[in-house]
This record gives sequence, C-alpha cells and structure tokens, in this order.
Amino acid sequence: MSTNPMHQFIVYRIGPEISLGNIDISFTNASLFMIISALAIISVFFAGTRRKAVIPTKIQLLTELSYTLVSKMISDTAGSKAKPYFPFIFSLFMFVLFCNMLGMLPYSFTVTSHIIVTFALAAVIFIGVTIIGFANHGVGYLKLFIPSGVPVVLLPIIVIIEIISYLARPVSLSVRLFANMMAGHTMLKVFGGFVISLGIIGGWLPLSFTVALTGLEILIAFLQAYVFAILTCIYLNDALNLNH
Amino acid sequence: MKKFSELSTRLKIAKKKANKNSLNNDKKNTSSLGAALKLSTEMVAAVFVGSIIGFILDNWFDSKPWLTIIFFFVGATAGILNVIRSAKLMQKNND
Repeated sequence: MSTNPMHQFIVYRIGPEISLGNIDISFTNASLFMIISALAIISVFFAGTRRKAVIPTKIQLLTELSYTLVSKMISDTAGSKAKPYFPFIFSLFMFVLFCNMLGMLPYSFTVTSHIIVTFALAAVIFIGVTIIGFANHGVGYLKLFIPSGVPVVLLPIIVIIEIISYLARPVSLSVRLFANMMAGHTMLKVFGGFVISLGIIGGWLPLSFTVALTGLEILIAFLQAYVFAILTCIYLNDALNLNH
Repeated sequence: MKKFSELSTRLKIAKKKANKNSLNNDKKNTSSLGAALKLSTEMVAAVFVGSIIGFILDNWFDSKPWLTIIFFFVGATAGILNVIRSAKLMQKNND
C-alpha cells in the first residue's frame, strides 16, 4: 500500500470497461461502495423492522431512533407541510451517513470525499427545492429574492446579491461535506505515515493522535450527514413557507 | 407483566440520572461544532459563485476583467449576508 496520503481517493475501474457514447460508465470502486452502503441501509432497516417487539432489540432501537431523529428534525425546521418529503430526506440522511461511516473502515473507500458525488446530491436538492417552490407559489416564489422593507434605489443590487446567495447554496452544501471528509481522511493517513516513518521509538505519539482523530472523524461523519439533512430541511422550508 | 413494571422503574432511574448529568449541555456542544463547520463554507461558496458569474458575463460581453472584479465583491457581500443570516438562525434556535 502506498504512503501517499492522496492514494486512498483514487477511483479505479472494477471489471470491464463500459461506455455509453463518449461517456465512460464503467463500474468503479466508488459505485461499489455506493451499492454497499445502500444494501447496508436496506439490510439494517429490514432487520430492525422485522420483529416489532414492545421491548425493542438493539437494532430495532437503532431504526426507531433514526426515524425519530429525522422526523423531529423535519417538524422543527420545516413545519408540518414538509411531512410528505420525509422519505426523501430520510434516505438522503441515511445514504450520506452510511457512506461516511463505511469510509471510516480500513481499506474502504469514502464516496463522499469526491466533490462530484456531493455536488450531484446537492444539485438534485437545489433543483428539486426550486421546482417545489415554483409549484407551490408560482411566480410569487421570486419574492424570495426581494427582502421586505428595502428602498427601491437599492433593489437592483440587493436582488443580484440575493440571487448569488441562492445559487451559492448547492456549492456550500457540497463543498462542506466533501472538504470535511477529504481533509479528515488525508489527516488520518498523514499521521498514519508518521507512525511508520518514526518507527517503534517515536511512533507512539502519532499513533495516539491517530486514535484520537479516528474518534473525531466518526463524530464529523455523523455531524456532516446531520448538517446536510438539516440544511435540506431549511431550504425546503424556504420553498414551502415563504416568510421573507 | 412484571418485566414491564421493572422496566419502567429502571427507566425512571435512568431518566433521573440523565437529567443530573446535564444532557442539554452536551447536545449544545455538538450542534455548535456543526454550526462552526457550517459558517466557514457559507462565505467561500458565495465568493466562488459570484466570481464564476462575473467570469461568464465577462466572456459574454467581452469586458475582461471588470465584471469579474465587480462580481467578486458582490459575491463577498452575499457571503457576509449568508453568514449573518445563518448566525441569526442559530441564535434563534439557541433561545
């Protein structure tokens, strides 16, 4: 295995090369880990909901707690109107969480450390929220760009600023997740490299750092999935209840 | 039935313990860490998007580099606005 800290992010092909026109759609390690996390989610929830006991087993407790977490998050931030979007936000949260957590296993691949993956997710959310906004409010959704109580003279500048801050949403959403995952994994690998190069005498200090950082990374893996989902709720709230 | 009553007493004791150990404080710490991670990218993203828009408009109107410069500052303004807005939202949630 290479000591290059960026080596872990390389996407390589598994199996034959498949191309559709000019686009390479071969099966890669990234696709493999996305499928693994999707299957992991399905199997955890299948096992958790199979037996509905009054005194829950650990796995049933896990599924029930995650349900309550997301459902409370939606009702707190986006109100009761957002209830129909629960399945989408729940699967989004679970997918990001499982991708992050699977990335914490040694020799695995972190799908969310690639900006194209996080940006694709954020773009889907952005386009979806915009469509929901226009479907609910029609042209009135454009009022989002005009804050109340602004003098007419300042209006052209304010509208441009508001449009930029609206367009910045998917970028900040995707960059946040990608940068946190990539920085954390690179740091872990760098400290792991120090352990090897300092040997048995000096290697204990970076080793202890690596252990501490692993704990921090697990916290961040959960937190980033949570932030991703809660921001989706906030954007959904803007689209459902115009309160400018 | 005995099992249930046992469970409810055990739950009561556990709840008391949890209240003592000020669970709220712990929760606040995690959410503020999330907030700190959130604010930093908010600013960068708006500046980035502003500069990209300026660059595209420059290519359209052939006015390099003026629109890029102007939109860089407009993007920075939008970024500051975003940061203030999410800070306000956090304050509202904390109260």
